[in-house]
Amino acid sequence: MDTVTLIQTLLNSVVASSIYALVAVGLALAFGVMKMANFAHGEFFMVGAYCVYVLYALVGLPFPLAVILAIPIVALFGLVAERLIFRPTRKNILAGFMATAGLAFILQVLAGQIWGVGIAKSIPTPYMGAADVGDATIGWQRLIVIPCAFAMLLALRFFLYRVKLGKALRACAQDPEIAALQGIRTNRMTALAMALAGASAGLAGALMAPIHSVTPYMGHGVILIAFVVVIVGGMASIEGAILAAVILGFIHTFVTTVTDNLIATMVGVGFMALTLIVRPQGLLGRERA
Amino acid sequence: MLLELEDVSVRYRKIEAVKGISIGVGEGEIVTLIGANGAGKSTTLRAISGLERLSGGEIRLEGKRIDGSSPERIAGLGIAHVPEGRRVFPMMTVRENLEMGAYLRKDGDALRADFEDVFRRFPRLQERANQLAGTLSGGEQQMLAMGRALMSRPNVILMDEPSLGLSPIMCREIARIIRALHTEKRTIVLVEQNARLALALAQKGYVMETGRIVLEGPASDLRENDKVQHTYLGVA
Repeated sequence: MDTVTLIQTLLNSVVASSIYALVAVGLALAFGVMKMANFAHGEFFMVGAYCVYVLYALVGLPFPLAVILAIPIVALFGLVAERLIFRPTRKNILAGFMATAGLAFILQVLAGQIWGVGIAKSIPTPYMGAADVGDATIGWQRLIVIPCAFAMLLALRFFLYRVKLGKALRACAQDPEIAALQGIRTNRMTALAMALAGASAGLAGALMAPIHSVTPYMGHGVILIAFVVVIVGGMASIEGAILAAVILGFIHTFVTTVTDNLIATMVGVGFMALTLIVRPQGLLGRERA
Repeated sequence: MLLELEDVSVRYRKIEAVKGISIGVGEGEIVTLIGANGAGKSTTLRAISGLERLSGGEIRLEGKRIDGSSPERIAGLGIAHVPEGRRVFPMMTVRENLEMGAYLRKDGDALRADFEDVFRRFPRLQERANQLAGTLSGGEQQMLAMGRALMSRPNVILMDEPSLGLSPIMCREIARIIRALHTEKRTIVLVEQNARLALALAQKGYVMETGRIVLEGPASDLRENDKVQHTYLGVA
């Protein structure tokens, strides 16, 4: 691999890591509070991308505004999913699994019915041109993913560690019964977690819309990687999800560059298997007390 | 009576863990429930906090029924629960754990004073204020669980086995803290397997066996009772 390709691949790795982190953090947060995996999380990503398609490509709003609007819209999807699916099935893991998998299909079919299946939606690239980094070049459209993801993750971190409500969310994830004894309302915290999960996945989808092909099924590939990331990081750990997103972002991008996407996915899952053998609780997960 | 349990029963599936017990706790009193493992002591405390549903009877705080309310609401009514096994939030700092204890409070200035009060009571917690609670020793975690309860300015403190698994020195320390709380006229319901410790601290005691109260009375009487001495105090 020559220097130009190396720099190019490094930059692409950072972009991939940023998106993985955004998607996986929401999944980890929701799992931490509800102990339930949201199989429709990839569809939140898809809805985020469609928000940009509709608001930017169809309606003609400026791209940044479309991206910013995608955040509360998908957060609302998260809230509704919590109220209608997670809360009623909280005591039954199997029912919750079936319901979220069902939601994934419903959202896919809905997007397909409204905007059609078949060829991917074409979204005009809002930011043409490329930046020169050494001898390598990277499109602005990819590059802006990095600061946006960073800003979102920093805001999330600030909320969870500096704001009382965010701390209560962490308390609820660590011990819901004891959190309730402090007066923290569990239902409110699960709703909050799902809203944040929707917000971050929605942002990821919105940012990827001009780069990724926008189809009703674009959530599939993302959810697979997100689960690998969250499992490697340690199911409920936010920091673990971010660390694992960086590691897997680099693995995927480098292996894809050298070979192809399919092998990259295999290597990623292999890395997960290896992690589970060496550290079953994940990189930064803790063993259940 | 500040807190009253009347004919309270709690059922786990088919097993009745608590079978119609009545307990009265007066303001400023330390009341203890003693008994063997599985006698229903912890279940009784959990029922008061709203963590277990009653299958019968009533629980009243200042004459008003609280059974059937959610744990969040009961916490808001001024009942703090120091749970069995401490159960501090392990991945949060000592300070954050205390903040969670004060979750429902909105009085900023008084809150700051209460932080200082807890740190004065438990200097060890102040030294470790920014440490993760999961890294504390058992005794320190017990202090943190008690501090967390005090942060809510409770009217009644429920303590479940505060001495369990602690060294004799740490047990004496916990006893000293409970005594200090008593001199401040705090109301405490103390569940203990260490009957000697519990009866030394309490004014009133209830002895539980398989979900029923088999003996009750002033702690001083219970200390002299033959059966209590024989079964729980290990006096031959």
